[in-house]
Amino acid sequence: MTGRDRIVVTVIGALAVLAAAWLLAVSPERKQAASLNAQVSAARAQLATAEGQLANARAAQQQYSAAYTSIVSLGKAVPASQEVPSLIYQLAQASNRKQVEFASIATTSGGGSSGSAAATAAASAASSGFSQMPFTFVFNGSFTDLYNLFQQLNRFTVRTSSGGLQVSGRLLTIQSTKLAPASSSEPAKGGATRLTGSVTATAYVLPASQGLTAGATPSSPTGAVASPVSSAAPQSPTTPAIVR
Amino acid sequence: MRAVNLIPAAQRGSGGSAVGESQGAAYAILGVLAGLAVLAFLYGSARHQISSRRTQAATLTAQAQQAQAKATALAPYVSFAALREQRTQAVSQLVDSRFDWSHAFHELGRVLPPGVSLSSLDGTIGSAVAAAGAPASASATTAAAGATGSATPPGSVPTFTISGCATSQAEVALMLTRLRLIDGVGDVKLQSSTKGSSGSRGGGGGAGSSGSCATSAPVFTVQVAFQPLPSVQATSAAAVTSNASTAQSNGSGTAR
Repeated sequence: MTGRDRIVVTVIGALAVLAAAWLLAVSPERKQAASLNAQVSAARAQLATAEGQLANARAAQQQYSAAYTSIVSLGKAVPASQEVPSLIYQLAQASNRKQVEFASIATTSGGGSSGSAAATAAASAASSGFSQMPFTFVFNGSFTDLYNLFQQLNRFTVRTSSGGLQVSGRLLTIQSTKLAPASSSEPAKGGATRLTGSVTATAYVLPASQGLTAGATPSSPTGAVASPVSSAAPQSPTTPAIVR
Repeated sequence: MRAVNLIPAAQRGSGGSAVGESQGAAYAILGVLAGLAVLAFLYGSARHQISSRRTQAATLTAQAQQAQAKATALAPYVSFAALREQRTQAVSQLVDSRFDWSHAFHELGRVLPPGVSLSSLDGTIGSAVAAAGAPASASATTAAAGATGSATPPGSVPTFTISGCATSQAEVALMLTRLRLIDGVGDVKLQSSTKGSSGSRGGGGGAGSSGSCATSAPVFTVQVAFQPLPSVQATSAAAVTSNASTAQSNGSGTAR
């Protein structure tokens, strides 16, 4: 073996030792370090997500009182039960305010007095929304008073300029109206012709599965004792469920 | 002067004076040692990185779990907020999908000529398919109706059927022209206008009431079709503006 061969062998041997050290010791450690970097990144993302959820939850907790108030307020527009008495009360109040005679109310399906309406209102459930309660109301008054009354009925629940909802009564969707001269010859105020206005309108009821507050109480969304629907909102006709 | 090579003849020409007796092994060992030192540094660095990253990952995971647990504990609040949002949206959609009857009546009273008396006014909100003259887009928007469960779904066409009498056929023509001025009217169709001889017609019930019509006055029936109710998205912004003035009095509250 010449001197050059010895040098070549020595260099190859040295390189082999270094390569073995790299492959057996350093490289696996570096790979592990890289994979741990990925784990750290994933953990950071997980933490960010969790912190986002926590922030949302805290915000929801802070706004719970306002949310509860809103829900209860919305219950005035769309109650959890039929609440026909309060509807009649609201209609009577609105018609009195507009000097219109509130002559009758009947369910569209069977037609009945206001007393039987609560029992017979056939709520046709919408697939994913509220249940519908169709009614027919009859009012007597002048043309102007009647259209003022229709405006009042719409104002029970309206949009505000800020995009919120202003709820002061039952949400009603008027589907049809029929105005015709009243059978009685008694003129309306100011000598205007007295008209009979028949209104077919739909009121809405929350799905039975939901309840007004979904079991929440004023202090907690997971109230140990679920509030009865009727007691959760101020449903009394004399104390409108108006909450800001 | 002649140069003299002082190197012994045996050592001349090998060029490996640097290699020396060890034939370069010393350099190889030094190189290996240097390489091993670099590798050792890299190994140590990687080990340190592994250790610190493990700790970091564990800390982050623990923090995430802690935050997750807290968020889970507060989940009912989130659900309640979602319920509120959902319900507000549903009610808003129903509010926005309504037809403004009072405005239509107000407009009707505004445009009717004085020589016209109404005997009946029948307003209905029909389906987009049945309504004549409804734009093609109306039926497409009707599909959205089921989502809100509104009694007057988008695409429905409000229609007024007006019956009454006028002092002359010219007044009927004028009325037809003016009915088109009503805000939101899509089409005005005369169904009939007959000048009869029988008495006692009309009733003067309308906004343009002028008492009972003369015996020979033409009796008419007119159908006024409004534009189809727009989709909720389209009405939301408009509703906010149009109802801004109504957001007052009655001690009412606001659900936001």
